[in-house]
Parts: sequence; C-alpha cells; structure tokens
Amino acid sequence: MAEMAHGTGGQKHDPNKRHLPNELNILAALILMVAVFELLGALLMGQSFLFDSSDRFDSIFNEARLKIIILQVSITGIIAIGATQIIIMGGIDLSPGSVVGVTAMVAMSFAQVAEVNGFPNPKGVFGPELQDLSVFVPIAIGLIVGAIAGFLNGFFVAVAKIPPFIATLGMMVAARGAAKWWSKGQPISFPTDEYAWIGDGMNPVIWFACLAVLFHCILKYTLYGNYTYAIGSNEDAARMSGINVGRHKILVYTIGGLLAAFAAIILSSKNLTAQAGMGVMYELDAIAMAVIGGVSLAGGRGSIVGTVLGALIFGVIISGFTFLRLDAYYQEIVKGGIIIGAVVLDQWRQRRAASRR
Amino acid sequence: MKKTILAASLASALFAQTQAANAETIGVSMALFDDNFLTVLRNGMIEQAEAMPGVDIQVEDAQNDVARQLDQIKNFAASGVDAIIVNPVDTSATEAMTKAAQEAGIPLVYVNRQPINVDSLPDNQAFVASNEIESGTLETFEICKNLRAAGKGDGARAYVMMGELSNQAAVQRTKDIEDILATDMCNFIEVIDKQTAMWSRDRAQDLMTNWLSSGEPFDAVIANNDEMAIGAIQAMKAAGIDMASVEVGGVDATQDALMAMANGELDVTVFQNAAGQGAGALGAALKLAKGEDVAQKVYIPFELVTPANLSSYFSKN
Repeated sequence: MAEMAHGTGGQKHDPNKRHLPNELNILAALILMVAVFELLGALLMGQSFLFDSSDRFDSIFNEARLKIIILQVSITGIIAIGATQIIIMGGIDLSPGSVVGVTAMVAMSFAQVAEVNGFPNPKGVFGPELQDLSVFVPIAIGLIVGAIAGFLNGFFVAVAKIPPFIATLGMMVAARGAAKWWSKGQPISFPTDEYAWIGDGMNPVIWFACLAVLFHCILKYTLYGNYTYAIGSNEDAARMSGINVGRHKILVYTIGGLLAAFAAIILSSKNLTAQAGMGVMYELDAIAMAVIGGVSLAGGRGSIVGTVLGALIFGVIISGFTFLRLDAYYQEIVKGGIIIGAVVLDQWRQRRAASRR
Repeated sequence: MKKTILAASLASALFAQTQAANAETIGVSMALFDDNFLTVLRNGMIEQAEAMPGVDIQVEDAQNDVARQLDQIKNFAASGVDAIIVNPVDTSATEAMTKAAQEAGIPLVYVNRQPINVDSLPDNQAFVASNEIESGTLETFEICKNLRAAGKGDGARAYVMMGELSNQAAVQRTKDIEDILATDMCNFIEVIDKQTAMWSRDRAQDLMTNWLSSGEPFDAVIANNDEMAIGAIQAMKAAGIDMASVEVGGVDATQDALMAMANGELDVTVFQNAAGQGAGALGAALKLAKGEDVAQKVYIPFELVTPANLSSYFSKN
C-alpha cells in the first residue's frame, strides 16, 4: 500500500529515479518571482519589495508586506487544502466558492448581536432570541452546512456515478442559489465580538497554517492519505486491493465541504459581514493554487506543501503588482499565464519521468 | 385578451380606462440578485407593487449574463406582460433589448443603469436612475473640503479604490473624482495610486493592507462604493491607524456604512435612493402600460451623507 502512495499515473513510483522533489522546483519559482519583483522595485520604485528599505520595522524585512502576502491567500488557501485532496484522488470540485457563499450567510445569521450602537440590529435575520448566541452555534451550523454540501458532492460522484465535474457544477449553481435565497439577497452584518475574533488580524493565517500542517500529516502518514493517493493513481487497482472506494470518495468530498465551510466562517468574520456573492471564483483560485503547487490533474500526485507554495506564489503576484502600482488587468493575465505554464511543466515532467523508467 | 389589452394600451387613453380594471402584469429582469443596492431597489419595487391592487409583478435574475437577460425579456414578451422593467447587466448591450420590446409592442423601462441608447429610446421606453455624475462629485468635493478644513490645503495625498472596471458606475465615479481633483480648489490633493477592488469589502481589505505595506503617508481614501470604503477602514484599523486622521469616502449609504460613520470611521458617503428608483421605474412602467406619457429620463437625486445629517438616513436603504 505504501508503495502505491505518490505513484505517477498508475505506475509505481521509485524515489531513487527522481532527482529533486517537485516542491523544490516550486520553491525555486517562488524565489525567482520575488527576485523579479525586488529587481523591478529597485529599478522603478526605488523601494525594496520584501526588505525594509525605509527603516520602518525592527527587523530587516518589510513585515507589513510579508503579512499581507500570506493573509490575502489564507482563506482561498484553506479551500485549496480540500481541492488538493480531491484532485489527488482523481476528482475535481467546482462548488467550494458557492459553498463559501451559502455557509457564510447561514453561519453569520446565527452570529449576530442584538444591539448595534443602542439600536436593534438593522440587519437581523432572526429575532432577539436567536441573537447574541455562543460563538459555537454559528461555527457548528456552518460546518454542518459545508459537510452536507460536501457529502452530497461525494454521494453523487461515488454512488450515482455522475462525473465529478458535473456533480460539483450542479452543487456550485445550487449552493449559490441557496446563498441568495437565504436572506433574499440581503447582506448579513454585525456579528458578536467572539465571532469577529475568528478572522481578526492575522488569525486567518494561523488557521491556514494549522490546517495545512494537519492535512499534510494526514495525507502523508495515515491510511486516509494512502487511500487518497491510491484511488487517484489507479482506481481499479485500489478497489481490487480492498479499498472501499465509494466510501472514501464521499469522505474526501465531505472534508472538502468542511474546509470550504471553515473558510467561509473565517471570511465572514474577517469582513464582519456575509453576502450572497461571497466566494465567487474562489474554487478556481484554489484549483490553480494546487496545480501551480504541482498537484497533477490526472490524480495520484501532489502534496499540501506544494499547494501552500502555490498559494504563496499567488500572494506574491497580488502584492507585487500592487507594489509596482500596475493595474489589475496585467495581474490577471500573468496569473493565467502562470497556471498554463504550471500545467505544461507538469506534463513535461510526467513524460520525462515515464521515459526514464 | 392580452393582445387586445396591449393594443388598447398603446392606441388610446380611452381604452386604457377599461384596461385598468384588469390586472397589470409587469415583468422585471434584474442584472443580479446578490448585489446589496440592487436588492433594496428590487424589494422596494416588489413591496410597492404588492401594495397596489391589480398589479402583478414577476422578477427574474439575469445572473450578470447579457444573453440570459435578453432571453428573459423575450420570454416576458411571449407571455404578454403589460410592461417590462430592465436593470441592464451591460449598459452597452441594451440596443437589442429595446428592439425586442419594440417589436412586441411592449413598453420598457430601464432602471438604475443608463443604457447606451438612452438618447434614442422609442416613445414607449424610459430610463429611471440617479445621475451618476453627482455621486463621485459630491463625495470627492466633501473630502476636499474636509481636508482643507483640517489644514491640509497646501498638500494632501489620497488613494482611490475603483469598482469593477467593466462597470459604467465605476468608470464614471472615478472620472468624477479626477475631475474634482483637477479643479483649482482641490488640486492640492495628489493621487498616490488607484486600483480596483471589484466593489468588494474583502478585496478592499487586501488592497488597503498592500498599500499600507509600502509605508507611503496618505490623508484620504476615496472609494467608488461603501463596501470598499469599509474594507479599507477595517485594514487601517488593523494596522493601528487613527481613523480621525484619515478622510474616507464611499457611495451608497448602506446600513454598514452608516454604522461606520456613527463610529467616526467613515467620513463621507452618498445616498442613492434605491427604493425611490424602484418606485419610479414601476410608476413609469404602469403609466406607459396605460399609454400615458412619461418623461424619458427620470433622475432621482443623490444625497450627500455626513455625520451632520447621518441620523435621518438610518431607516433608508
């Protein structure tokens, strides 16, 4: 079983034949990108990108920029942790962005305060009896919403045998509809202080880091991880070796839904509001982070470490373009180019790995 | 029956009298349902229609899709509604909608977003909105006055946050900002950088934090809407900036924005009367359905909101 883990396209993986771990390449790309921004910053702005060039901080780094680079990708990064597992298993999930929308709406409506500046909450969804609740209520309800969405994804993929692209596309549309329906499109605001703490300051980064470490260990050292890689490498072989493939698929999609729900709770807390349009396109950013991080869309290959590096590359691009005061148009064009580049590189690497055998 | 009603409504006011006894059906196609402002507009329209006896209203969500919206209009025409209200997804794609309604002989009212063919609309079509030139102008001029009053009249620096760049309101409001900053009274304000935050609070938080990381001194943040202004405020508060030292402006006067203003964080916003636009559009549509004349451009004025007159806006929008 263990040998099957990290296999390539159903073939057995021999660690001795790989020269460098994939993640090192991605790290190199990240460093290269930072170097480009450093160079352009020195040439065009007379400022350093990551270092403290005007002596504003105690350390040699521009701490504010280091923080925002990670902060702005933490929430999509949490979704990317789920996307990584689903893609490694040979699936795809297009629904997390919409699940973020509906979960944020539902969770936030149980997290509202009764009084704002002495007035009754102007955005109250429920009456005062369901306001000022313990912070665990919205968290629990939010996670349940995400788990249900994820479970349904898994059920339709594993039991009803609908291709994952279609099943999760359906969920993407349905969950967005549910998000709009929940409060008839009205935004939901003014949460309790405890709820507001969840996504306050750098807390999203801490959640992201904890979840990344947790799922890195789970994927690497548990049966759950082995099954996930095995199914993605060769589903039939996994089934014949006694893995309950259907049950495992439902489990992985449910975890994907839970992670999206967790991202939604942090996002709505960070913004102190929930809106039906929240999370649009997050799934694509998450998938892109995973792909840039070396997760193969063919399944069976990739890692959480790679995805975290992919997320950081995203963060560096966003901050770098704002640093250079370039328009957002270019940012999107470059982002798209990097995604394509990552896939081309991945395929080239796969072919090379196959020919070296 | 529907066809006769239609013919009557277009032919003469006399026939329209008999028609008033029947239910008027109004089809509404909104650009999208999950926009805060448009939701207030939509709900205002629905509430008003429900309060009127003999008015049926059917509201569809175009989900920001131009093609879907045109299909909805054609479906309304096919089912023989008495008038159509459209909140266009894309203001440059309205020619086809005007034509579709015209061919079916059904009156059409554009609401909130100015169609590109606003000057060539046929007689039974109209446009109800607020004049976008007012919003960014009111906002920027007030910020300019406040900065002068704070003794920064010999030099101030501002960041500008823009909405989605494909949207006419974002383009117009940004132009308003630039026009005001070019005047003799306000040209002491220098724009450090202007970027889009896609109308979104989350994007605005990230953008503001990125700007803060460069350590540039600044005196004002001028945003195209309130959500982005609030995002900027949240980022500045997280960075420990004293909100009394920064002028922040938005547009829309949402509940969240008014609360931020009450807390002394937001300094300027502009009230766009969503319910008023919805009511105006419904009124124009009903009149056109009866064959009466309406003004082809109905402007509902923008109103400046500052801490001084804040309290009278709490119950609106």
